[in-house]
Amino acid sequence: MDLELASRIEGLLSDPAAACADMRSALADLYECCRTQQQMLDRLTQISDKYQLAERERGLSYAEQLQRKVRQVEKIVRISDGYQSMLQDLNARLTAISTHDELTGLPNRRYMQERLTQAIAQSARTDEAFSIALVDIDFFKRINDSAGHAIGDVVLKRVAACMRDSMRDYDLCARWGGEEFLILFACCDKQNAAQLAERVRLGVAAIATADLHPGLQLTASIGFTEFLPGEKTIDAALKRADDALYQAKDAGRNCVVGSP
Amino acid sequence: MDNLIIAQSPSSPAIAADWHAGVISMRGDSYPENSFELFQPLIDWVEAYLAKAGRPLHLELELVYLNTSSIRSMMDIFDQMEVAHKKGQTVSARWTYEAANERVGQLAEEFCEDCTFPFSIDVKS
Repeated sequence: MDLELASRIEGLLSDPAAACADMRSALADLYECCRTQQQMLDRLTQISDKYQLAERERGLSYAEQLQRKVRQVEKIVRISDGYQSMLQDLNARLTAISTHDELTGLPNRRYMQERLTQAIAQSARTDEAFSIALVDIDFFKRINDSAGHAIGDVVLKRVAACMRDSMRDYDLCARWGGEEFLILFACCDKQNAAQLAERVRLGVAAIATADLHPGLQLTASIGFTEFLPGEKTIDAALKRADDALYQAKDAGRNCVVGSP
Repeated sequence: MDNLIIAQSPSSPAIAADWHAGVISMRGDSYPENSFELFQPLIDWVEAYLAKAGRPLHLELELVYLNTSSIRSMMDIFDQMEVAHKKGQTVSARWTYEAANERVGQLAEEFCEDCTFPFSIDVKS
């Protein structure tokens, strides 16, 4: 309300005899002023409301965007974990392939060589004896020739399974060559090795083969030796076991010979 | 706009984007040292294609292993396609994988989960 109107109204209010027409004119001006003020107030309220709404929407869209980002990151993490576990599986498979023989599932020559190196180191530390045995399936070539390679493969699998079953938990058997297997008898001197090797021989001779080929006889010859204190590599022991194996073959097969 | 050809390396896939055919193909593993460097040209290409070409876009994938930042970039590309699809443009994707590697198919399913455009996942014949 302007100052001029205010002083007019104050003048009229202080004069008990003020003229009605003057009062009316002042009232009209006052009313006009009041309406203008009201309109301004309405507009201010509207503007304020609009700002409030906009702020609220902005907040919501931030929350929404944030939620979207979180979902996206979660998805990336989930997929990435999936790829990682895929790589781990692949790695495990490659490790198995590089250390095991595909046909028999037994450890392969490379893996056995590592274990032999460990066994030598352990033996040097603890003075504990260990022995090795070479197992060769008798007349395997004849089996392959007469019954076919597919049957030959089944024979190899059965022999491998039999050896796994007839060994102690801490011994290790590997496919060393075609029909030749190498057994590592841990913490085992020559006397014990003789018994364990005999158990393997009996196990192989007891493998059922009637379903494979008529008249198929399955036996194995075994040569074994004890690793000697002071030996640095496995080579000499392997040579002794191999010589013993030849003696077993010469002695008519299906028998166990220990290196002297 | 030109075609985009990125040769395969041991750590990055072969990428070929054909402007006239409207087909992008990606094959191989992806674990580049700098995935931004590898994928940004492709993301830019997709953006330009969807904005200017006025033709359908098809993505042909034979990706095997993806590292985390490559996953992110692929999701960005799928997002671009999803936006185009919602605007009414024709976009599609096909991810093929070797039957021996079923996990790749499962992971492709995870990518495809939020996409509403045609996205098929097939065993390589």
